[in-house]
Amino acid sequence: MKSKSPLYVTGARDILAGECVDLFLADGAVAAVAPAGGMRVPQGVTAVNAMGKLILPGLFDLHARIGITSKSLTDCVSCTSQAARQGGVSGIQCMPDLSPPLDGAAQIASLMEIVSCRSEIEIIPAGCLSRGMEGEQQAPYDSLRGKGVRMITDAGRFPRNILMLHRAMKYAGELGLTFALRGDVPALTEKTCAHPSVTSYRLGLHGSPACAEEIGIDTVIRLAADAGAAVHIQTVSTGAGASIIRRAKEAGQAVTAEAALHHLLYTHECMGDYDTNFKTLPPLRDPEDCAALLEAVNNGVIDCLTGDHSPCIPFFKKQDFCSAPAGMITLDTWLPALYTFLVKDGRLSWKKLLEVCAFNPRRILGLEIPELKEGAPADFVLFDPEGLTEVSPAFLKAGALNTPLLGSRLSGRVYPL
Amino acid sequence: MSDSSDIILDKGGIALALDEMAARIAASRAPEPLALVGLLSRGDIVARRLASRLEASGREALCGAIDISLYRDDMFNLENRPALRSSDLPFSTDGMRLVLVDDVLFTGRTVRAALNAVFDYGRPARVELACLIDRGGRELPVRADYVGLTLNDPARPVKLSLEETDGVDRVISAPLQP
Amino acid sequence: MNSRKDLLTIRALSDEDIRTILDSASAMKELLTKSVKKVPVLKGKSVLTLFYEPSTRTHSSFEVAAKRLSADVTSFTVSQSSVVKGESVHDTIDTLQAMKMDYIIVRHKNSGIPAVIARHTRASVVNAGDGAHAHPSQAFLDAFTIREKYGSIAGRRVVIVGDILHSRVARSTSLILKRLGAEVAYLGPGSLVPLERHTGIPRFTHFDDAFSWRPDVIYLLRVQNERMDSPFFPNAREYHRVYGVTEERLKRISDLDLAIMHPGPVNRGVELCDLAMEYRNCLVNKQVENGVAARMSILYHLTPHTRQV
Repeated sequence: MKSKSPLYVTGARDILAGECVDLFLADGAVAAVAPAGGMRVPQGVTAVNAMGKLILPGLFDLHARIGITSKSLTDCVSCTSQAARQGGVSGIQCMPDLSPPLDGAAQIASLMEIVSCRSEIEIIPAGCLSRGMEGEQQAPYDSLRGKGVRMITDAGRFPRNILMLHRAMKYAGELGLTFALRGDVPALTEKTCAHPSVTSYRLGLHGSPACAEEIGIDTVIRLAADAGAAVHIQTVSTGAGASIIRRAKEAGQAVTAEAALHHLLYTHECMGDYDTNFKTLPPLRDPEDCAALLEAVNNGVIDCLTGDHSPCIPFFKKQDFCSAPAGMITLDTWLPALYTFLVKDGRLSWKKLLEVCAFNPRRILGLEIPELKEGAPADFVLFDPEGLTEVSPAFLKAGALNTPLLGSRLSGRVYPL
Repeated sequence: MSDSSDIILDKGGIALALDEMAARIAASRAPEPLALVGLLSRGDIVARRLASRLEASGREALCGAIDISLYRDDMFNLENRPALRSSDLPFSTDGMRLVLVDDVLFTGRTVRAALNAVFDYGRPARVELACLIDRGGRELPVRADYVGLTLNDPARPVKLSLEETDGVDRVISAPLQP
Repeated sequence: MNSRKDLLTIRALSDEDIRTILDSASAMKELLTKSVKKVPVLKGKSVLTLFYEPSTRTHSSFEVAAKRLSADVTSFTVSQSSVVKGESVHDTIDTLQAMKMDYIIVRHKNSGIPAVIARHTRASVVNAGDGAHAHPSQAFLDAFTIREKYGSIAGRRVVIVGDILHSRVARSTSLILKRLGAEVAYLGPGSLVPLERHTGIPRFTHFDDAFSWRPDVIYLLRVQNERMDSPFFPNAREYHRVYGVTEERLKRISDLDLAIMHPGPVNRGVELCDLAMEYRNCLVNKQVENGVAARMSILYHLTPHTRQV
């Protein structure tokens, strides 16, 4: 949310420097920064008193879905944008699994036209890896790139034809596109919807073995190494998966990775009695995996935290666990949830949070990074750690209610600028 | 049991009432063979006591018990359904003289259910009704053939205790529920 | 037993509920010896059987049970094609609500469907088998059959053999037996038995080890047709040789005087050799017989919330 009209923000605490600052934003950029009290606000110019609040760069989520059944694309864009704003997110990468999928320049052009007039946040489109996301035919990578696409992905689907993937990496890797894939071996995970565990046994759900994801990650990394392409591993959910990525990074390969917040917070036990809000892809794993992923975020093996925002109308989530779609909405609650579950109890520092939720995602996509210095883009949010966020149906703007946080109260509150 | 309750019958009183009922059942000129069918629960105990009295007087009487829960007209409306008890009619009822035995006769609905129940077991020649206490308050055209004691205040609950289940033989007229 | 609308899993029941339903099942079984095999307890109530998966035994067993209790029984057959066409369970539930049913008996290939239906209807929902999740009426008839055979269940040892992974019968029956004090073990190939740390039930890999454990009952699960000759095991003949009751094993079972159970229908020559069906302690037909009494007891103990409407 790059502020256009001139705005003074006074007394906000810069969490990285540990100091309070005044700043002046104009023309979408930081016009001036000074220690708190060091700036005189001229008469007639809007000023925000940010005493006691933190000033943070707007967060960026690399992995969000915007499509909602029976809503127009225009409505989807506007819902997502509002949800993101109140969650402290100023930019997202939109997965290409819309209807129709983003597998051509025309589809992206029409999405971006809507974005330009309806969105208050930055939306970067990801392009399809294969036509129709069917895993057989290559998408027109250069045309996609021409429309602003930086990442190529079939949004969680692993291409059926691995030869196609290998060739695509050789072809499009040289165009500077990054391949984003989730580790999977479809033959091993077909018809599964839970981590093989006490819970999957109790609920009679077929288990999706962790090794399928890990083999998939390994496959993708090795193909990319061979093809010389940059690769980004999506939603790593197991500790062993993170280890594979660590080894590739140690070997100097161009690999980045993300983990979804829910894989750090929740385990298969959360599914309780078929709670479809806890159906995710990959499934929620063991407590050891949660711990290993948090560690991998902290030690830099995992570059980004994502919400894997996936809105879904109540009708679909009210179905039985096997039939219900996977995923939860996360944008509305993003920064308060990160604060409540990770920062507040010291499991993640503010510095690390900004790295994995604001800086790294933008670095991976080659976007400008908002910083508190003159000339940097004016892309900030205020966050009151003493505030509260009530997650009520009225609060949620994402156009869906599928979050396990519905009805809860989170610490902290976002004030978009 | 509160002290304000009145004991209507004690152990001796119950024994005397049963003696009298057994004598009248034996004296009836209804056709043989005779079977006593107690209605679970407690009616079966009364039936066994009657049967042993009849036997002591030289009259042979078969003895059985039926659970009439499945025939009650209010079962569907009950929130808590007790476990069913096994009915025990180890003989064919065809052509028999059956005496249904219950502890307390009140609205008559239990007897209505019991009549339906016994006819599902066969076709008895004759069915009679014996009950230790007749509390009055009938809601159906039901009359007992053999009664131990007749009370005349249907509004007042009656509590029957028997040694076999409650450790003591007595009939108490409980105080009205506040 | 306290008021309970639905029977979805054994797990949801208290120990007392389990005992009450079993005790009533005994009384129900005796009713079936009367000249009139019907009681009026559910007179005027409507029972709907909603089977998304074909099943002759369970379906007719529930139907007979409901009819013995004098309920009106309607079968709502959902063709697989309409499910494929995208008719969701919710569409069906709306239809059912309009029919004002008191009891709905559901079978579906997806785990958890009966719970979804139960949440959206006032009728009592009985789970007649959902995916690999639960089959509580089978559990009751199994427990009832074992209790009838041995007088009590506590301390008995039961080995459940075969496709545990896909089996709702294994899950529900092992649960009820453990709750009633029995010991349960699983026997089967690694491709068909989940890990012991997930099931909490010890596992044997060879029949001989299971015999050494001194079980009372060998409970064989049906091998579903779609699992035969599929990658779960090489072929039916090999399965029979390793995990079936062969004639040789039948002799051992007979020498040890063990009972044989099976939820039916039996694949002869796969789970059981032909002779096993004639074996004196083969309780398979008893299980079918007891199924009606167990299901009558279940229907009797549930309280639909349709009365207030």
